[in-house]
Amino acid sequence: MHKLRDAPGEAEARLRSELEAVAGEGPVHVLGLGYTDKADDGAGILVAEALKKPFPSYSHSEHDGVEGVVLDICESPGPGTVFFVDAADLHSEPGTIKVVRSEDIYEREITTHRVPVVLLATMLERSGKHVAVICIQPRTIEFRGPLSEPVRSAMASLTSALGTIMEQRDL
Amino acid sequence: MSRELNVEALARVEGDGGITVTLDGKKVKSVTLDVHEGPRLIEQLVRGMTPQDDVNVVPRICAICTLSHKFAALRGLEKALGIKVPEKVQLTRELMMLGENVESNSLHTYMLALPDFLGYPSAVAMLTDYGDDVKRALRLKKFGNHVMEVTSGRIVHGENPTIGGFGKYPTRKQLDEIRLKSQELIPDAVRDVELFGSLEYPTYSESEKMLFMSVDAPKKKYGYYGDNILISNGKSVDCEEYKKLTNERVVAHSFAKRSKYSDRTFTVGANARMVNMGKRLDGQAADLFKEHFNERWMTNPLYNNLAQAIEMTWSLEHMPEMCEAVAALDDPKFAEPTRTTGSGTGAVEAPRGTLYHHYEVKDGLVDVADIITPTAQNLDDIEMHMKLCAERMLADGKSDPEVRLGLEMVARAYDPCISCATHLVKLKRA
Repeated sequence: MHKLRDAPGEAEARLRSELEAVAGEGPVHVLGLGYTDKADDGAGILVAEALKKPFPSYSHSEHDGVEGVVLDICESPGPGTVFFVDAADLHSEPGTIKVVRSEDIYEREITTHRVPVVLLATMLERSGKHVAVICIQPRTIEFRGPLSEPVRSAMASLTSALGTIMEQRDL
Repeated sequence: MSRELNVEALARVEGDGGITVTLDGKKVKSVTLDVHEGPRLIEQLVRGMTPQDDVNVVPRICAICTLSHKFAALRGLEKALGIKVPEKVQLTRELMMLGENVESNSLHTYMLALPDFLGYPSAVAMLTDYGDDVKRALRLKKFGNHVMEVTSGRIVHGENPTIGGFGKYPTRKQLDEIRLKSQELIPDAVRDVELFGSLEYPTYSESEKMLFMSVDAPKKKYGYYGDNILISNGKSVDCEEYKKLTNERVVAHSFAKRSKYSDRTFTVGANARMVNMGKRLDGQAADLFKEHFNERWMTNPLYNNLAQAIEMTWSLEHMPEMCEAVAALDDPKFAEPTRTTGSGTGAVEAPRGTLYHHYEVKDGLVDVADIITPTAQNLDDIEMHMKLCAERMLADGKSDPEVRLGLEMVARAYDPCISCATHLVKLKRA
């Protein structure tokens, strides 16, 4: 896990290294999930939106219809990696980032009228892609509330780390 | 002997609620659908707003039926303001609704309801044996989302539809793409009908003949909006009289209001639309309706899934005609209000049933807003059918897990949107 108490730059370097270890060959896609009306719950979408500017074909948020994006990636030839980014209760300090490998993704299908991430991850893996979920611990998911500082800081580190990896792939 | 049986979470519906079944021995004392989703007080929030601000705010009730809320609000407010929209505006809105119908029905039938019938715990588990069907569902959903994006500006909470018109209209190229793709996807929807048409439907939740309500779509055609409400007892009521149809009341165990008509519970949704307007279907959807529709649809809520699949076929079949009609017309100017004070009710068919938005506008600002969602109208019927299901399954010696699944299937069949109406099943032994 990557926590804010790490020295500046240290956490981001370790995060980048961990993400690089997950990523296989081919392009890296980022799919941001969440709900921007509920404070830190929107972190995944905001990271994806920030990366969409430099990497419009490789960064997508839930607002783009994530199921369709996954279907397109599944049907694209060759290897690749998909990082889902989402806020999740890790029982950790706000802003903590954890990279969950696909075999450890556990999602209960409760209270949702959407395609479960675990199904999308399974489909991607069956099509030969690498998958991981990057979880960010929220501080608050208050309706219409502002982003908390720890999550804002974590988002900046994550955006930078992912951006560096995507750039290295020469997209 | 008393005991408790709990189903902790009702999966694959939208929102947060719960079901409590209280049992005394094998006797079911009561079944309640408890909606835990907190009220968001949207109707109060929009008071004092301009009609256009209202149209931007109220779809935030839900990210699933967002365009149905948008359409209902537009219809209600435009009536209140004396606005008659040009034909191209109306047709583009209809196309938008077709997209939402395909998006929502594909997800519900293929991914959320089908695993129950095929004996899988989820769509994930279905992937090995029904991988192609899961892909069909995603293709249909993606296309539904695309139509929503082209017409409303975004997949969720698009702001392109406005009072009196659209910010911009779909281009000829976009309409041609939708026309061609919709035709290409019809076999995927027909496959959905074949799957649901081949299933054995459990009889545990069957009731006496149910009462159904839906809009009466214009020109005696099938459709998703109308100014009159059809009741399956043969009556037709002006949607302005919606309060007489819904008679909302508050119950202690739920944040969602309840509805009854003439002291009877009733059902809205795809099944209701098929009962009331199924004979109006055309094309392949009409053939599928004739092949599959029977008397049991009027007693067993599980047929709502099959109804959604047939309806999705119709929505796809109807898109080419709609695209041609939209493309043939010039982009109109915004229709302007003819008054600043008035009232009006918009009734539309969200994928899960009839949605009402009623407004009173005073001096150009929203004075009163009243929104009645389909799930709130269905809750009494859901409880009634779950009670029948629990009683019969227990009498039949079914195990607790089997009873839990039976109850969940009934609730899921209604495709409830608890987020809109303002999950977990508990069986308590007294």
